[in-house]
Amino acid sequence: MATVEERVKAITANKLGIDEIKLEDSFTADLGAESVDSIELVAMFEEEFGIEMDEDAALAVQTVGDAITFITKVCKEQGVEIEE
Amino acid sequence: MRLVFIDSLCEKRSRFYPLVFGRPIWELRCGMSSLENKLMARIRPDDVAYFVPDYMADYYKTRTDKPVNDVTTLTGEDLILVDPRIKADHLDLPNKHQSQIDLDDEGRVLYARISKEDSGGLEAEDIETFLDSAKSSLPCVSCKAPTWEYTWDLVLANAEQITADFEKAGRSGIEGDIEEPVAIRGSKKDVYIAPKAKLHPMVVIDAENGPIYIEEGVEIHPFSRIEGPCYIGRNSVLLGAKCREGNSIGPICRIGGEVEESIIHGYSNKYHDGFLGHSYVGEWVNLGALTTNSDLKNDYSNVSVMLDGRKSIDTGSTKVGSLIGDHTKTSIGTLLNTGSYLGAMAIVMAMGKPLPKHIPSFAWFIEGNVTKGFGKRTLYGTAQKAMSRRGCEWSAQAEAMWDAVFEMTSPIRKKAIKKGRRRLLT
Repeated sequence: MATVEERVKAITANKLGIDEIKLEDSFTADLGAESVDSIELVAMFEEEFGIEMDEDAALAVQTVGDAITFITKVCKEQGVEIEE
Repeated sequence: MRLVFIDSLCEKRSRFYPLVFGRPIWELRCGMSSLENKLMARIRPDDVAYFVPDYMADYYKTRTDKPVNDVTTLTGEDLILVDPRIKADHLDLPNKHQSQIDLDDEGRVLYARISKEDSGGLEAEDIETFLDSAKSSLPCVSCKAPTWEYTWDLVLANAEQITADFEKAGRSGIEGDIEEPVAIRGSKKDVYIAPKAKLHPMVVIDAENGPIYIEEGVEIHPFSRIEGPCYIGRNSVLLGAKCREGNSIGPICRIGGEVEESIIHGYSNKYHDGFLGHSYVGEWVNLGALTTNSDLKNDYSNVSVMLDGRKSIDTGSTKVGSLIGDHTKTSIGTLLNTGSYLGAMAIVMAMGKPLPKHIPSFAWFIEGNVTKGFGKRTLYGTAQKAMSRRGCEWSAQAEAMWDAVFEMTSPIRKKAIKKGRRRLLT
C-alpha cells in the first residue's frame, strides 16, 4: 500500500495539474488552489481514505505536509488502516 | 371561538419540502395571501393558537405573539382545529353547537369543531394525544373538503387565486405615483396601485386578462411589463421585468428578467435576466444573473419531481418549474431542469448544462457534484449578512431550527456527497 504522503501528493498533483509537490507547499499560495479546488480536494481525500473530515478543520489546513498530518490523525481516530 | 392551526410532522408535510423546512405550512402562499390568511378570513375566529413541529417551535415563537405549542389553549374555549392544507374556499363549516371531527383518507384530522364542554374531557398532554383522544370520543366524519397536496398545487392555482383574492379585496384605482408615459391595458377597475408605489415611465400594466394588485412602496423601473393576474408585495422592486401572468411576488423582493406563474416569498432576489416559470421560491433566495429554469418538457409530457432525491412523483401537470428552499443561492448562468428541487440553504454553481433535478438542503453543488463545501457555519454567516442588509436579524432560535433541518436532511445529503466524491476520483 502507498503511504499517506504518496497518496495525498498523487491526488493533489492530479487535481491541480502539478508534477512536483513538496511538503511545505501551500495549497493556495504555491499550488494555486482556488476555494472550489480546496472543497474538491477535501472530498477526494475523504473518498481516497474512506474517512469523514470536519469541513472547517480540513479547510483550515494550509500546506501539503499539514494535510498529511491531519489525514493521518483522522484515519487513526476513525480506525482506518494506513501506511505511514 | 379559538382557531387552532396544526402542522404536524408526517409524510404529507414532507410533500411541501423544501418550502416548509423553515416555516409552518400555513405560511405558504397562494394568490395575494397565505393559507393562514385565507383560513382566518373564512373562519373569522376570536382567537388563534398554533401547533408546529417541535424543532421549529422556539423559532416560531419569535415570529408571533400568539401561543405556540401551548396545550392550555386546547381547553376553556370552543375550538376549531384545522390542518392548513385544507382549502379555505371549500371549507364547509359544520353546525356550531356540535363537536365533529373531519378526517382525511388516512384518518388524520383535517378539520375539527370541539365545544368547550367536550374539550375539557379530552387528554391534552400534547397535540397528538389531544387529537387521538378527540377521534376516539367524538363523532368522526370523512372530510369532503379538498386539500393542497403538493407545493406545485399552489403554483398551478396561483393565477386563479389572485383573481379571486383581488375581487375579495374590493380595491381598485391608482393611489400611487405614476410617471407618464405609463400604459394601462384592460380595465382600470382591474388595477390597484397602493399609495407610495411608484411606477417609472415606460411601464406597461396589462390587466386585459386578469387583475393587478401593486402594494405600498413597490417601485417599478422603466421597460417593465406586468401582466395580470399579478400580485406585487410591499416594497418590492421590479427592474425591467417581463412579469407574465400568475405571479405573486414579495414583499421586499428585487425582480428582473422574465417571470411567469411563480410564487416568490419575501426578501428574495432575481435581479437580472433569466427565466423563472411555474416555480415556488422561498425567502432570502438569490438567483444569480441568467439563472433559468425549464417549466415544460420538449415532449409535453407530465413533469415529475423528486422530493426525496430518490422517487419521482408525477405532478400530473405539463407545467412545473422549480421548488427552491429558503436561503438558497444560485450562481450566474445556472440552468434548472423541469421540475427541479433545490433544498434550503444550498449553494449552487452552474455546470454549463441543466443541473441534476434534486439538490439536497445545505449542499454545496460545485462543478457538478454535491459537496460539503465550507459547511453550514459559512452558510449561516452568509444568511446573517444577507438578513442584516435588509434590517433583519439571524437569531439563536433560527440557528437551532436550521441545525435541526441540517440533521433531518443529512441522510439524503450524505448519499449525494458520497456519489460526488466517487465521481471526483474517477
